[in-house]
Amino acid sequence: MRIDKRRLYHLDWYLIFNGLALFGIGIMNLISATSSFYSGSYNYIIKQLIAFALGLILIIIITHYDYRLIAHNSKWFYLGALFFVVLVLIIGMVAGGARRWISILGISFQPSEFMKPIMVMVLANMLYEKKRENIPLSLRDIIKPMVWTFVPFILIVKQPDLGTGVIIVLTSLAILWFVGLKKSTYAVLISFGLLTPFVAWNYLMKPYQKMRVLSFINIDADPAGFGYHAKQALIAVGSGKFLGKGFMSGTQHKLQFIPEHHTDFIFTVFGEEWGFVGSVVLFSLFISFIHRCLKVALDAHDELGSIIAFGVTSIIYLQFTINVLMAIHLAPVVGIPLPLISYGGSSLLSTLISIGLLLNISTRRYMF
Amino acid sequence: MKEETPTSKFKWCNLILIITMTVLLIRLWDLQIMRGSEMRKLSEQNRIRVKKVIAPRGIIYDRSGRVLADTRPSFNVYITPEDIKDFSQTVDGLAKLLDVDRDDVIDKLKAASRMPPSFPVKIKSDIPMDEVAKIEAHRVYIPGASIQIEPKRNYPYGKMLAHTLGYVSEINDEELKTKEYKDYSPGDYIGKYGLEKNYENYLRGVDGEKRVEVDARGREVRTLDIIEPTAGNSLHLNIDMDLQEVVENSMENKKGGCVAIDPKTGGVLVLASRPAFDPNKFASGITKEDWKAIALDKTHPLQNRVTQGRYPPGSTFKIALALKALELGIINERTTFLCRGGFPFGNRVFRCWKKGGHGNVAVHRAIVESCDVFFYNVGLKLGIDRIHEMAASIGLGKLTGIDLPGEKQGLVPSAAWKKKTYGQPWYEGETVSVAIGQGAVWLTPIQLAQLASFVANDGVTFRPQLVNKVVSPEGKVLKVFEHVMNSNIKLKKETLKLVKDGMRGVVNEPGGTAYGSRLQNVAMCGKTGTAQTASLDKGGHDHAWFIAYAPSEEPAIAITALVEHGGHGSSAAAPIAKAITENLFRVKTEIKEAKAHENR
Repeated sequence: MRIDKRRLYHLDWYLIFNGLALFGIGIMNLISATSSFYSGSYNYIIKQLIAFALGLILIIIITHYDYRLIAHNSKWFYLGALFFVVLVLIIGMVAGGARRWISILGISFQPSEFMKPIMVMVLANMLYEKKRENIPLSLRDIIKPMVWTFVPFILIVKQPDLGTGVIIVLTSLAILWFVGLKKSTYAVLISFGLLTPFVAWNYLMKPYQKMRVLSFINIDADPAGFGYHAKQALIAVGSGKFLGKGFMSGTQHKLQFIPEHHTDFIFTVFGEEWGFVGSVVLFSLFISFIHRCLKVALDAHDELGSIIAFGVTSIIYLQFTINVLMAIHLAPVVGIPLPLISYGGSSLLSTLISIGLLLNISTRRYMF
Repeated sequence: MKEETPTSKFKWCNLILIITMTVLLIRLWDLQIMRGSEMRKLSEQNRIRVKKVIAPRGIIYDRSGRVLADTRPSFNVYITPEDIKDFSQTVDGLAKLLDVDRDDVIDKLKAASRMPPSFPVKIKSDIPMDEVAKIEAHRVYIPGASIQIEPKRNYPYGKMLAHTLGYVSEINDEELKTKEYKDYSPGDYIGKYGLEKNYENYLRGVDGEKRVEVDARGREVRTLDIIEPTAGNSLHLNIDMDLQEVVENSMENKKGGCVAIDPKTGGVLVLASRPAFDPNKFASGITKEDWKAIALDKTHPLQNRVTQGRYPPGSTFKIALALKALELGIINERTTFLCRGGFPFGNRVFRCWKKGGHGNVAVHRAIVESCDVFFYNVGLKLGIDRIHEMAASIGLGKLTGIDLPGEKQGLVPSAAWKKKTYGQPWYEGETVSVAIGQGAVWLTPIQLAQLASFVANDGVTFRPQLVNKVVSPEGKVLKVFEHVMNSNIKLKKETLKLVKDGMRGVVNEPGGTAYGSRLQNVAMCGKTGTAQTASLDKGGHDHAWFIAYAPSEEPAIAITALVEHGGHGSSAAAPIAKAITENLFRVKTEIKEAKAHENR
């Protein structure tokens, strides 16, 4: 592969180092989260590092090809991802009551994770011309994007993987907002938005999902189940106090008081061990990272790049915010990983693909 | 809405980022700074459990240091309500694994409901190894259940000395409410009977505390610190287990009691009551069936017949009369009464046990051959109140003060007593019965041992004392029990000599009622008794008594043996005393000989 020196020069090193800092914190935190007081299994760390290495290769490949080329072919990626999402429903592995993983040649992955950046590219490809013309989207304009969004959404929620589904829908809506909507379109979307909770509660949500919402509203509604875990998560974060209990010293997760503490509840581990100071540093790194991602969207060479950059930024922002809010009991429990910090190969790869797209767009910002 | 430019969208985005950061920081400030200490406390409570480390109870030794009661490790199953995830899963699972009733488990949890949910509730004690293995293997499925290794009371001699040692058992709700047990908690073991109860304060150790870290399933992950328990103090008894075993063996399958006392100190050498119970059964949490079997047993195995059984003393009581009559000069060595086998009084005839009669008998032969007619006369001459007075000064009909709970007083009647109780005057005919230890005389075997001591020790008795000393776990002697004098009566030399000679004759003279139990090397003095039982339901057998002391000079032991429905004192009870004396002095002779051999 011939490396264009000019492009290398234009690489967004701020974004890279900020991302590396987050990933570094993630690995360090994962070492603590996956070990007990006596022994640690490095299996998790090794798998995470392998996923990271794979992700770096993907980033190189992605940045090599022009994002326009990638976006124009995104339909095929979409169909490919959709194929796997359907496949999961048929032959997926069951873990924790949900069918989310698929195993091919001994490597298991979660196709829904990859749907997120692909979705962004598909929508960007669909809408960038409207954006260029600066025509607000009418109701008719958004039907196609909505259909393309809801097909994978429904399939993913059926697994069930509500978290990823929610991220996909919210990201799509964010993209539509970014492209620009007519007032009438806003009105319709908002009315749909107001209706959704009722429809979801009465027809769509599974009992355990309802229980999560109930125990979010009242933490004592289910003291043995979700409420208990939410409480333990709060205790973990709160007990970190100003400076934290120290690396490898978090008792809440090490003694199994918090479920999924290496994936969805990873922030409780960090909050407990590094306290307020550490958390502020982590949040600042995230906010700065997201801000930098937005800058990529702002500086993009064209509307297509801008939409893609904004879309993947939305993914990262939404995952970060919802994940942390959930850990500190400001949002109901839903399975969303903390980008670059949570354990999970598919999630990490998906995030790295997003970053790859961002780098791709940022290096080509002076291109004519 | 005005025309939206791309940059205005980014302004919105920045605003959202600022809001997000603000919300997160406020929440973190609230959680980690404002409520940080509270949350830290909660997390400590989560992981740290204070567990009681049960102190081993003090050991009980006999006089030569043999262990009569100690502790051994046992596996006990607990449930910590706080750690239960699914109530029926844990309770049903455990009930199945342990083969206990589900309702029993629930009852136990209910009983401890006023304790905090982190308080472990004992479900089953002393489970066998295979159940330990079962529970360990299924732990994951029964969260909240745990096994603790704890000391358990162990009585190596089983049923022997059971009534003296007593037993320990789990404290019950009523006891917990009393002031006496205010610093106890549910699940604690307390002495409920015998020495275990009487010396609870000495035997009980100081429980330690262990702070352990537990995980979310309640499993101990590591011990943070430990305050070691302090073992209870040891009791060193006056009991001689060699003699005790001799007695227990000779009373096997009999009902009754036997006690032997050192007349010089009051130290109790032997205390046996039959039928007995196995105190080990109580220590491991007695099952309902076992408890029913013991509590409802018509032979009352839980009664300590030596201190709680009241029986007519029969002819043994004659000793008291002889002492008083001689002392007052109502009779002397040569005073004789004619025994024709019966004694007409009022409109009835009181019989002597010997149908043909004893002829003219003086006090010596009256004691040796236990002539009833002689003592009918003596009794009448004394009158009931002087009999009562004598009995009282010996300590008959009064508590001896032995260091066991629940001693019974017994009764020696007096005119005043009858007036008070029945509102009727005393009739002389009743005195006739009392003279031979029948009628309204009810005494415990330990009181009759005091009578034997009284004679042996020339009018002095000591309070019977089981425990000699209390020793701390480090070996420091904390308390030595002083000999407490119960009675000290000055008696004429002749009086004592006559009675002692009589008692010596009972065993050692041909015609003596216990001649069959004489010993080669020791002169044992004694008195048989045969107490008629009120109802002759048990095959018509009377209670057999024998009181004794030995040797005749410088007595070292005073004995009472009672065999319920044993028939005659001479045949049923005297052999037990013989066995004790024989054994005691054989050993003593052997030691003497060994010493003599060494000196040579």
